Amino acid sequence: MMSGFGTIAMYLAMSVIGVGAMFLMSRALGPFRPTPTKATTYECGVPLLAAGHNRYSIKYYLVAVLFLIFDIETVLIYPLGVRYSSMAHNSWALFFEIFIFVAILLAGLVYAIKRGAIDWD
Amino acid sequence: MEGWVIAIIKVVFIWVWVLLIATVMTWVERRGAAMMQDRLGPNRAGPFGLFQPLADGIKLFTKEEVLPKKAHKVLWNLGPLLFALPAFSAYAVVPFGDKIILGGKEIILQVSDVNIGFLYVLAIGSLAVYGIVLGGWGSNNKFSILGGLRSTAQLISYEVPLGLALLAVVFVYGSFSLRDIALAQQGTFLGFLPNWGVFKQPLGFILYMVAIYAEANRVPFDLPEAESEIVAGYHTEYGSMELGLYLFGEYVNLVTLSTLVVVLYFGAWHIPYIDISKFLGPVSWGIVSFLILYLKVAFFLWLFVWVRWTIPRFRYDQVMGLGWKALIPLALFNLFITALFIQLSA
Repeated sequence: MMSGFGTIAMYLAMSVIGVGAMFLMSRALGPFRPTPTKATTYECGVPLLAAGHNRYSIKYYLVAVLFLIFDIETVLIYPLGVRYSSMAHNSWALFFEIFIFVAILLAGLVYAIKRGAIDWD
Repeated sequence: MEGWVIAIIKVVFIWVWVLLIATVMTWVERRGAAMMQDRLGPNRAGPFGLFQPLADGIKLFTKEEVLPKKAHKVLWNLGPLLFALPAFSAYAVVPFGDKIILGGKEIILQVSDVNIGFLYVLAIGSLAVYGIVLGGWGSNNKFSILGGLRSTAQLISYEVPLGLALLAVVFVYGSFSLRDIALAQQGTFLGFLPNWGVFKQPLGFILYMVAIYAEANRVPFDLPEAESEIVAGYHTEYGSMELGLYLFGEYVNLVTLSTLVVVLYFGAWHIPYIDISKFLGPVSWGIVSFLILYLKVAFFLWLFVWVRWTIPRFRYDQVMGLGWKALIPLALFNLFITALFIQLSA
């Protein structure tokens, strides 16, 4: 019998083949007649006004940093989730340990919201 | 040897099956939209216009690909591939039925029942953001980049409540295996409710539903492709099947997410109060469990269409505000309550 991960690898291979086939088939079937006008960057009906790689709001970056913190928090609690119901019999210590851990991060979230990290104006 | 054959059949079957549902879903989407707007929708190709997705596919395949001069060639081509690959791969650990006994061999209806199935779905699901951000950046067009940035911020913001809502499910069932979670939902809860995840995690279910609409870029969270603001967002510059991979990948994502809702919160293949597997033979039960599961999935897929024509699009600050100021605190509260209940009932 195959291991579970072997089958997943087969499924991934199937996806690579399928998606790759779709991608290459459109290359093979579609025409390719580039002209300079066709290859210009899209703009709403007028000549190009501004380049794409411009300066954008710092807020996107801030959100990414906040995400890192909270995603790592989630990932750290995940392994505990599987064992929690079987370990909970012993004591409340475990419960309060996660509670304190989450509370510290929650304080961070409150601080970030108070400082306007997620306000878009 | 036999194991190999079964594995290959399962892989090919479910891959094509997911593709088929996603294809039909594009038709349901258009017909459903037409129905709600009191018009006909596509009805020319085949009976009820059922071959419309096929015609769309042929059209996309035979269209010209226009590579913008300023675009980054490698990233531009990589974008749709990186978006579609995770979308198509996520189904590897999702159960599609209970089990079937063929020729004395018990076959579980799931491509692979690994003990970390849950983590696999989450990990693969979050890879889609690379396809969007690389496609948007590679296009070198301000609409594409804005769409890509918006999408990144939105996807990662809603991934936190999504992860926390699912974490509460793990707390309840104590397993990462999606099959174990599905099996644990048989019988009744508190004596009168079906033993479904939605009754054990009502708040978690609502959070999960909101988060998946944002993760799938669906209305009311379709800001990355808000056509009235940024043309078409990250896929403004794409045409041909490269655009097709983006659009189709989204529908495949919808299928995966809807199946997860059913498996985690709506009792997978269980019907409330009766255990019909007792009345059926091992082969027919396999088929019936498959049908029950996908009947439930069909409802949640229809819900996506329904919501699309019911709720208008949010403003961007509202989306971010909802994610960080409402969903994440609520998800943490849900986790707290869940842990407290487990403690008290231990």
